[in-house]
Amino acid sequence: MRLGIVGAGQAACTLIAELIRGDFKGDMLVFNGEPHAPYQRPPLSKNWLKTSNDPTSLRLLPEPLETHPSIQWIQASVQSLSPDRGLLTTDQGTYLVDHLVLATGTTAIKPSIPGLASESIHVVRTLDHAQRLHQSLEGVANITIIGAGFLAFELASSLADPSRTIRILAKGIRALPQVAVKTADRLVDQAPASIRVGIEIERFDETMQTLVTNHGSIPSDLVIAAIGAQPNDALATACGLGSSDGIPVDEFMQTAHPRVSAIGEVSLHHQPHLNRIQRIESISEANDSASVCAKRLLGHPEPFQATPWFWSDQGDAKLQIAGLCDRTDDETCLIEAQTELVMIRHQGQRVTAIEALNSAKEFMAARRLLDQGDLALDDLLQAGSVFAQLQSSRS
Amino acid sequence: MPQLTCINPNEQAIDVSFESGETILQATYRAGVDGILAECGGGCSCATCHVILNANWDGTLEAPSVQEADMLSFAVDPTPYSRLACQVQLTDQHEGLTLAVAKRQY
Repeated sequence: MRLGIVGAGQAACTLIAELIRGDFKGDMLVFNGEPHAPYQRPPLSKNWLKTSNDPTSLRLLPEPLETHPSIQWIQASVQSLSPDRGLLTTDQGTYLVDHLVLATGTTAIKPSIPGLASESIHVVRTLDHAQRLHQSLEGVANITIIGAGFLAFELASSLADPSRTIRILAKGIRALPQVAVKTADRLVDQAPASIRVGIEIERFDETMQTLVTNHGSIPSDLVIAAIGAQPNDALATACGLGSSDGIPVDEFMQTAHPRVSAIGEVSLHHQPHLNRIQRIESISEANDSASVCAKRLLGHPEPFQATPWFWSDQGDAKLQIAGLCDRTDDETCLIEAQTELVMIRHQGQRVTAIEALNSAKEFMAARRLLDQGDLALDDLLQAGSVFAQLQSSRS
Repeated sequence: MPQLTCINPNEQAIDVSFESGETILQATYRAGVDGILAECGGGCSCATCHVILNANWDGTLEAPSVQEADMLSFAVDPTPYSRLACQVQLTDQHEGLTLAVAKRQY
C-alpha cells in the first residue's frame, strides 16, 4: 500500500512512528509544506523562545524513523487532491497513492488592523514565525499581545524582560475564559504583563507607534496576534470533504471518502469525553487521532476514546488540565494553597475537567480517573477518592 | 562519546551514545529507542517518558524535582528508581548507566 500523508507536524509524525513500529507493509509519501524537518510546536512559545532558539532541539522524529526506507519526504505543498483516483498534485508534479491522510493542521488568524500591514503583525505558529519574532525583539520596549488565551500568556512569560513592557489585550470581559475564574486570576496575577479587558482595536497610529483602542492609545513597537487558528481544510473542501470547521471524520479518522483520512487539529469528530462533535487543538488530539488512524491502517481498528488533556508553561508556573470543559461549566475549588491550585470543572455532578496549577499529582490522578469513564463530583470531594486522600495528606 | 545502555520494552539492550548536557530523553529519542512516548516533547507535563534506572548503579544523579516526583507518583507502576527521561541531565559521569524503559507509559 502506498500512503500519502499531507503535513509533517505532530499528528503526521505520530502516525509515521506508529506505522513504522507496527511494521506497516507499505510505503509513505510525506508532503511537508514547510522548509524544515518535522519539529515540535509547543516549545516555540515556551522556553525555547526564551533560551535556546536552536531548531535542532525541536526535532520531532528520531533519525532512525526520519530516514526510514519506507518514507519518501517531499518538500512541497499539496495543491489539489483527486481522491477517486488517489492523485495528489504539487508544484513539483503529480503523485499516485492508495490512501491519503490529511494532517494539514491549522493556520494562525491575523486580525485586520487599519494602518498596520498584515506582515507587520506577528503570530507564533511555525518555526519561521518564532524565529522572525525572536529576530525582531532588539530595541523593542513595548510589546502588545492581542488575545488573552494560553498562547498570549505563554508568550508574555517567555518574552518578559526588564527592558520591555508587555501588554495583553482581551476583547472579552476576562482573560483566559477557557479556565475557571480562580485559575485565570492566579495566572493573571503572576503574568509579567499588564492585562486590559474589553478592548476594541480601532487602528494603528504609525507615527506614534500606538494601537488606538476604545480605551485610549497603547504604545506598541511590536504587535503579536494570539487570537486562535483556523483549520487548513481547503484541500478537503475542494473535493467535497470539508465542513465549516475542519474535516469531518468518523471514530476511526475516516472521512466520507474511503480513500481519505484526516487526523490532528484539522479533524472534526465525535469526542467521547464531551459527547459531542468538536475540533480540538492540542497535542493530545494530534497524538490520539494519529494513533487511531495508524491502528486502522495496520488492520487493528480501535475507535477514538481518548480524554483530552492540555498543559501550559507560564514562566515557572505549570498549568495542567485533564479533560475539557465548556466555558460555562461550574467551578469548585478543591485545593487552594500558596502556589498550588486545583479547580474542578463540572456540569452538575459530572466532572468535565480538572485544572491543576503546580499540582502534578492531581493532574495525573485526574487523567487516570477520567480515562476510566465518567467521574462524579462527589467522588472527588468525599473520602475515598484519590483527591480527598491527597487533600487530607496535604493539610 | 559516552554511552548508556537502554533496555527497551521488548527487553532488547540498546547502546545509546550521548553528549554531556543532553537529557536521557534527547539521547534515547535520537537513537530511536522504542517505548518512550514523550507526548509533551520533554516538558515534564505528561509522564510518558518513564524510565527505570538500574538499582545497582553507583553513580550520582540530581534528585527529581517536586514536579517530576509528583508526576512519577501516578505513572504506571513507579519504582524508587523511576525517573522521567526528559528531566535527567547526563554528564560524562553517566558513562555505563543502564536503564529500562517502562513497560507501559499509560
